[in-house]
Amino acid sequence: MRISKWIGQAVVVAGVLVGGFSAAAQQSGGTFVYIVQPEPPSLASYLSTSGPIGLVAPKIYDGLFEYDNDLNIVPALAESYAISADGKTITFNLRQGVTWHDGAPFTSADVQFSVMEILKKVHPRGPNSFREVVSIDTPDAHTAIFNLENPAPYMLRALSGYESPMVPKHLLEGQDPRSADLANKPVGTGAYKFVEWKKGQYVRLDKNENYWKPGLPYLDRLVGRFIPDASTRTAAMENGEVMYGAYGAIPNIDAVRLRDMDGISVTTDGYSMINPMSLIEFDTTKAPFDNPAIRKAVSLALDRKFLIENIWFGYGKPATSALSTNFSATGLYAKGLPNYPANADVAAAKALLDEAGLKPDADGIRAKAVLDLIPYGEDWRRAGEYMKQALGDVGIELELRYEDVPTWLKRVYADYDFAMNVNYFYQLPDPVLGVHRHYGTDQIRQGTHFVNSSRYSNPKLDSLLAAGAMEADAGKRGEIYGDIQKILAEDMPVVNLFEMQFLTVYSDKLKDHATSALGAYGPFDRAWLEQ
Amino acid sequence: MLAFWKLYRRNLSAVLGLAILLLVFAVAATAHLFFPDDPFRLAGKSMSPPGAAGFLLGSDSLGRDIAAGIAHGAKTSLLIGLLATFVAVVTGVLMGALAGYYGGWVDDLLMRTTEMFQTIPSFVFAILLVAIMKPSIESIVIAIAVVSWPAVARLVRGEFLSLKNREFVQACHTLGMGDFRIMLGEILPNCLSPIIVIGSLMVATAILIESGLAFLGLGDPNIMSWGFQIGAGRTLLRSAWWVCTFPGIAILITVLAINLVGEGLNDALNPRLRERT
Repeated sequence: MRISKWIGQAVVVAGVLVGGFSAAAQQSGGTFVYIVQPEPPSLASYLSTSGPIGLVAPKIYDGLFEYDNDLNIVPALAESYAISADGKTITFNLRQGVTWHDGAPFTSADVQFSVMEILKKVHPRGPNSFREVVSIDTPDAHTAIFNLENPAPYMLRALSGYESPMVPKHLLEGQDPRSADLANKPVGTGAYKFVEWKKGQYVRLDKNENYWKPGLPYLDRLVGRFIPDASTRTAAMENGEVMYGAYGAIPNIDAVRLRDMDGISVTTDGYSMINPMSLIEFDTTKAPFDNPAIRKAVSLALDRKFLIENIWFGYGKPATSALSTNFSATGLYAKGLPNYPANADVAAAKALLDEAGLKPDADGIRAKAVLDLIPYGEDWRRAGEYMKQALGDVGIELELRYEDVPTWLKRVYADYDFAMNVNYFYQLPDPVLGVHRHYGTDQIRQGTHFVNSSRYSNPKLDSLLAAGAMEADAGKRGEIYGDIQKILAEDMPVVNLFEMQFLTVYSDKLKDHATSALGAYGPFDRAWLEQ
Repeated sequence: MLAFWKLYRRNLSAVLGLAILLLVFAVAATAHLFFPDDPFRLAGKSMSPPGAAGFLLGSDSLGRDIAAGIAHGAKTSLLIGLLATFVAVVTGVLMGALAGYYGGWVDDLLMRTTEMFQTIPSFVFAILLVAIMKPSIESIVIAIAVVSWPAVARLVRGEFLSLKNREFVQACHTLGMGDFRIMLGEILPNCLSPIIVIGSLMVATAILIESGLAFLGLGDPNIMSWGFQIGAGRTLLRSAWWVCTFPGIAILITVLAINLVGEGLNDALNPRLRERT
């Protein structure tokens, strides 16, 4: 503990020295130290959407597009695009003169390879985002023509460097992408170049001098520090050792306190594309959670308001459907569904369990299960402790399990060795991108993270999901998603708990860090430090 | 026994330590009477200060009763302390006795093994073991025992080395007694007092290690312990000081009491040493 802290301080001191000497213009230069929590399992954003990877990889990899805070498309690696009248052909005109960090030119072949060979095959959400893409033609080095089976308007929302990174063909071709070296030594076209990753301490990225955006980035160096302990992170923020912590890196209770300090600000901006929802996944293939009634009882027994108020200090909104209320803007969210009480309904939960034939034994215990907790910090432990009590009240005795990130991911998504798992998923700007992966039979993909680990399979739902993805008419699409949400409220393969609101805590010296809809998952190319 | 107590009570602080320790045992034994509910129970308003909302020592971020946690945590801490010490002492005595009595290659083998364990910093080793085995009460007891036994083994070996050539042992050999009977029946009783002293101090260390592990989040998440309470409360330190403070005091007092008792036992069992002051 003490040693790692000391080394951490040494890193900061070194960073400050280097940053200080290289400070040239008023806006340029400086070392920006931010919190990456927890330490990412790899830097392969094309393989895993694990949260901390997003804090590092999008600084290295670009996408075809970026998105501004109002979700408008901003050209990035694609300078412009054109959609054919039938919506089935999309032509991207790629930027010229862009090079990979190793000097090789970026061409349409990289786009073709990234989408067809990587994102469509091994990315958790890629097969959904690019499901309609049949082939990509590359008539010349700077044109990529996507040929679609059906129109896929949602795809244009999934082309950021975070969601669909463009990866170098020449470094991945002919290898198994799951074990390629690139995962730990990323090479992209982005604003920052990967320099080193000291396990357990920090990851360092340096300015890409040949970045295709002239004059950018302003910062000389990014240092993402891994600080496992929440109060140490808060202290580091308070004394200026780090300047930025997003995605709950600073616990809400401390964020609320830091908000009132001089020189530190707190914002909920920068999460508009993410749409996070916390939830419980079940192994729906094994008793007792193979019975929908028991999953519904879990939903009824949990007090969503209590979780939000006591553990997240009021930041959040009880879930009322499988879709976030943010989808009401596009007319997809369905109101008034059963089985999502804001406050626990213990009597109803017990009645449901009785009806399902799960009677309490002499000790009042109806079933026993292990509850796995997402190992992303103290809040989730507290949530687990609460759930153990709340479900204990209706006779479901839980044992809590809290492991390190790789072990937990392997247990849930590769080995399926779990019964209940507390987690959170990003619903993203369209359900096809963020929600389908939870429920579709084609999303039962052993070994891929954050997909249908419940192994829920319902042909009727599958056909509705397929129809919803293709439907261009907003009204009809809303009806389809209404039906989808009704089925999910009854079957509950996943119990959605609450819509999360993340907080970003940052030093006032840091400017222009939230210029993208992706916030902390953005490229940080325009961020600068007041010297 | 009475004579022993007379010697023991001459050390006032040792008597005080014993009194505190008995109190802690009493709290642990009566926890279920005073706090019949599960200590994880969400008993009321969250983060109530001491004395408010019916919480003697306040409540934590989920509204759990700190006092109930301390009472039930006493059971965990004492149980882990005693159990781990027992395992460590049995292992250590066995290894030390064999090494000291037989000497030669047995001694070499066992002592090199012991040294190997001693070269690894004990707390770091304990963290490693618990992380590998998954945090549970069994794995914590095992981890503490594994890092604690080498000290006992060294001590017992030394005692056996010095005792095995004494006349009474040689007499046993001439009488044709078996090795194990000599070890257990003759030599071991003569080196019991240092083992008791080191064992009593080891209980205190074990409680500290358990608290440290729980503080780092490596405690059994299903069992209330003092370290767990501190770990769960440390993010609240600035806004709800009582969540960490009272369990911390409980650890401090208990460990202090055990150390005082250990010191008292040392004085009482080695009367000549006591005269040194």
